[in-house]
Amino acid sequence: MRIGRSQRFDQARPFVVLGAALAAWLMAPVALRSLVRASFFEMTAPVAAVSSYASDVERFWSLRLHSKDELIEAGRDMARLNASYSLEVQQNGELQAQVERLEALLHMPPSERYRFEHARVARRDFSGWWQRMVIRKGSDYGIAPGDPVVYTGGVVGRVAEVHAYTSVVELVTDPGLRIAAVVDGDTRPVSYQGADNPVFGPPHGIIEFVPLDVYASASAPKRLATSGLGGVYPPGLTIGRIVHVESSADGLFKTGEVEIDPRISELTEVTVLVPTDPG
Amino acid sequence: MRGAAVLFLTLYLLLAIVGEANSALSGAHVWLFAGGLFVAYPALAAPVRGGLAVSVLGGLLCDAVSPVPFGTHAALFATAHVVVYNTRERLQRDETAVRVAVALVLNLVLYLAIGFVRIRAMPSGAIVWPRLLSDLLLSQGAVLLCAPWFFALQERSLELARAIRARPA
Repeated sequence: MRIGRSQRFDQARPFVVLGAALAAWLMAPVALRSLVRASFFEMTAPVAAVSSYASDVERFWSLRLHSKDELIEAGRDMARLNASYSLEVQQNGELQAQVERLEALLHMPPSERYRFEHARVARRDFSGWWQRMVIRKGSDYGIAPGDPVVYTGGVVGRVAEVHAYTSVVELVTDPGLRIAAVVDGDTRPVSYQGADNPVFGPPHGIIEFVPLDVYASASAPKRLATSGLGGVYPPGLTIGRIVHVESSADGLFKTGEVEIDPRISELTEVTVLVPTDPG
Repeated sequence: MRGAAVLFLTLYLLLAIVGEANSALSGAHVWLFAGGLFVAYPALAAPVRGGLAVSVLGGLLCDAVSPVPFGTHAALFATAHVVVYNTRERLQRDETAVRVAVALVLNLVLYLAIGFVRIRAMPSGAIVWPRLLSDLLLSQGAVLLCAPWFFALQERSLELARAIRARPA
């Protein structure tokens, strides 16, 4: 039986509609697409935030179950830590003043100052393609795209998107993130890039343009830190440990493997470094 | 219209559940993809206009929380929807097993399609393929387990909203 022309058109109609819709979308102004994207993100944001607040409440009630003896012990440990940190804050203040005096003497441009904005992690999204997390602070706290994000172990990543009361952080393990770095004890910059994140294993990154006289291995790893070049991250923040280097194909430099602290996959709180003078 | 709104709400719920699961599994570096579930039921059971709108809106929800060019998921979901819609009369589409099979095939195809979109940003394909493959296998397992429940939820939601006629007990 032959298929009639109208029946054939009926079969093709969904494809025609799809093609027309795709063409309309491709020709839509960027502002319209950005508005739609922001609207849809804000639509999904409350779920992550509510779930994160629920986790906080759950943690609060589980902590309430601790005995008074445990609380007294924790309070004592905290007092000791506070005492040692107070001393370090004083020393830090002295060193900061010394740096400022030297900068003035040498007529150096002042180093960037940051405000610390602590934020809870609302959601983590660690696929093989991207590594991101959503934090519970956004433009309401003055956070801007590109701000560096850190934790006690070093660099977490940088702010990729800022929304009304949440921000998306691109992690240092994300294959799309590149950082200018230095090997501990060396001033020559190398290029760091996030790489693979194997299942049940520690995340890794790769380094390129490593000078030929730099050596590191799993038994004698070297710390990789931010160089301060590029203007995003302050210098000296830990990125990871170089556990392997080998000559690159052209023989001019070395390439290597960097092991990232596995704690980065389970962070519940991070600190955003908000420049106090963004200009 | 009411049916499309109800289906969209179920996709919103699915996105929230998948997001929570991925957040909980992040410590083990496991990531689940459930794109097939966003498209399967609207393409197999919903009318063409409402179903396509639901698939596109579901895709836009996924786009909003992913670092891909905005509209990528929506375009892929819409294409998948139209292809499945055109073949649905040849399938036993009321059977749960058939719906699950369609969801699995769609999930595989959409995962690979998004992989090809994203592969340019990767430092080296060879390094990341084992991880992508393990994510795909685990995602297929998760879809296989959750699909019957999710299709039942969508159908029951439509019945409760009186968008479709309730089945006789």
